[in-house]
Amino acid sequence: MKKEKIVMAITIGISALVLVAVMFMRFKVVERTDRIAIETMTESELRSELISWREKYAELQTKQEDVLTKIEEYKEEYKSDEETEKLLESELADLQMLLGETDVVGQGIIITISEEKLEEEKLNNEDLLHIVNGLKAAGAEAISINNNRIINRTDIVQIDEMIKVNGKRILAPYTIKAIGNQTYLEGALLGVGGYVDELRKWGFEIEIERSNEVNIEAYTNELSYKYIN
Amino acid sequence: MIYLAIILGCILGAILGMGAPIISYTYSTYLAIAVIAALDSVFGGISSVLKKNFDLKIFLSGFFVNGILSILLTVLGQKLNVDIYLATIFVFVSRMFNNLTIIRRYYVEKWSEKLEKLKQIKTETEQENKQ
Repeated sequence: MKKEKIVMAITIGISALVLVAVMFMRFKVVERTDRIAIETMTESELRSELISWREKYAELQTKQEDVLTKIEEYKEEYKSDEETEKLLESELADLQMLLGETDVVGQGIIITISEEKLEEEKLNNEDLLHIVNGLKAAGAEAISINNNRIINRTDIVQIDEMIKVNGKRILAPYTIKAIGNQTYLEGALLGVGGYVDELRKWGFEIEIERSNEVNIEAYTNELSYKYIN
Repeated sequence: MIYLAIILGCILGAILGMGAPIISYTYSTYLAIAVIAALDSVFGGISSVLKKNFDLKIFLSGFFVNGILSILLTVLGQKLNVDIYLATIFVFVSRMFNNLTIIRRYYVEKWSEKLEKLKQIKTETEQENKQ
């Protein structure tokens, strides 16, 4: 008798539990849904609304995916762009230095040639060319005459009594700066067969000064070409 | 014992139902119909208790099978585009009212019997006092 009662109580309790649980679930759903809006709409209206919302959702999803992939692409591009930019910048700096478009500093020598004491003899372009050639042969990395940078297209010409470098007239005293190994540079100019020694024989006053900080200015004219394809 | 079980079940069910995840609106209509079927069997059970022919097996089978059947009928109605759930609700609610009238009659009769008994006792005591 007691056992039967216990079983009955348990089963009825379980059924009560199920009933109330289901009821509360339903209550919650009814509470949550915006009943006024839904009740005033007919089923077909609701369906069309649902379809339009689904379409919008799908559209937005595809758009989002597109945007995300684009962002990824841009990020990758940006990364590679940054790398190439750095590379290009360093390359550009190197090239500009090689071309002589930047001011440079380094150890080297400064040669000053004055012709004050001479009356008839004057320095001509060939003397300067000899000196420049000698410096180049000794491994000079940058040369300037009276602050006119010597680059691969530099002309040193004589027009009557004028000497023109890079198309600009230069006057005595001449100051030739060169960056490179000081001993080599000096050795190229002095000693047997050195051009400075020969000029000194002619009576020019030439000073050669070693310096650990030779400043050579950039080439100032415009570098352009017309005929190279 | 049984009342305690019912109260405990109700409280636990309320907590469970509150904590349960939200079901979509379309499926919750099935639940509503199952609830009405279950309520019908509950009232049927109470009336059978009063009639003293309560059977636990019949009550339980009615409770669960009626609920499941009503859900199935509603699903079928939606598939056929016929509002069968209206018919199920009609049947269950009318049966609920039948059972409620049985319950009400039982208690009203009990009360009236009690009142009559009280009256009889009163008159008897009065007569005894007079004598």
